[in-house]
Amino acid sequence: MRIIETSTKKKYSVEILPVESDDYKNIKKDRYFFNWKTEKEEEVYKLRIIGSNDILGLVSIERIPQEWRLHIRLLSVSKENKGKEKEFDNITGNLIAHIAKIAVREYGELACVSLKPKIQIAKHYIEKYNMNVTGVTLSIEVPEIIDLINKYDKD
Amino acid sequence: MIVDTEYGVDSRYTSKNEQENQATALMEARLKRMKNLSNEQIVKAKLMQLKLKMEEYLKKPVYDKQNYFSEFLKLYIDSIYSKRSNFAQDIDIAPVSLSQVINKHREPKEEFLMKLMIHSEKAYKNVCEFHKKTWYQVYYHEKICETMSNQEKWRPEIEKKVKLSAAI
Repeated sequence: MRIIETSTKKKYSVEILPVESDDYKNIKKDRYFFNWKTEKEEEVYKLRIIGSNDILGLVSIERIPQEWRLHIRLLSVSKENKGKEKEFDNITGNLIAHIAKIAVREYGELACVSLKPKIQIAKHYIEKYNMNVTGVTLSIEVPEIIDLINKYDKD
Repeated sequence: MIVDTEYGVDSRYTSKNEQENQATALMEARLKRMKNLSNEQIVKAKLMQLKLKMEEYLKKPVYDKQNYFSEFLKLYIDSIYSKRSNFAQDIDIAPVSLSQVINKHREPKEEFLMKLMIHSEKAYKNVCEFHKKTWYQVYYHEKICETMSNQEKWRPEIEKKVKLSAAI
C-alpha cells in the first residue's frame, strides 16, 4: 500500500498495524481530531510510512461476524494531512482498503464494511469509494469491495 | 459551507437500538444485492479471500497441527471447480495423485508446484495481484514450522548421527 506526497507526487510504501498501548501517549486529540483513548478496548489500526514511527492515520472497527460485517467506528488522518494543504494523499483510502481486506479475508463473498458519516460528507464517500447507501449507513460489499482493495493494495 | 471530507469520520452508534435498527435495514438491502451477484463475482471474491488468508498465514510462524498447504489447495480448487477431477485434468495429473496431495498422503512433486503456480497465474489474472511464489512460500513455510515445532520428536535420533569433528 502506498501514499503520495502531494508536493512531489512521490510514492511512499506504508504499513498498517494494530495500535499498541504505548502508542496512545502520542495519539492526542489536537493532532488526530478525536479522543482515541476511548477506543483503547477496540480494534484500532495505525498507518505509517515504512521505516517511520509517525502515525499518519488511524481507524477503529467493530467486528459483527453474525452479519459478516466490519463497522468502522472512528477514522482520522493526522492534522497535517487534512484539507487542501495536506502532505500526503490516499491515507483514508488505504485505511478503508485495509479494513476491506480483513472483511474479505474473514467473510469472503459475504464481506461488508460499513460506516455512518455525517450527511454533509456521505456524498464524498459514496462517490470516492463507490459505497452503497442504506438510510444513514454507507457500505461496501462484493463486487465493489474487491475493486477498492485492488485500487489501494499495491506493492 | 465547505466541508472537509477527508479528515475523518465518527461513525460510532449512540445506542444499541440505533445499531439494531440500522443493522436490520442494511441486511435487507445487502441480501437483495447479494441475489444479483454473478457466479464470476463470487469466484473472484473467494479467490481474493484465499489470497488474503495465505498472506496472513505467511506473516507469522504457526505451530499447530493444521495442514495449511493442503487446506489452501482445497479452497483454491473448490472455489473454481465443481469437481476436483476437472482441476486434475487441467493440470494434467491423475485425480488419484491430486487426492493424495490434498489428503496429505504424499508430498507434492516439484512439477505439481510449478503447474499450480502457472494455473494460479491464469486464475488470478483478472482478480488481483498474486505473486508467483505464494504457493511455494506457503508450502515451505509449513515445512519450516512443522520441523521447528516437532524437534522433540526428530532431534534425539538425528542428533546421535551428527558430530562436529573440526575444531572451531
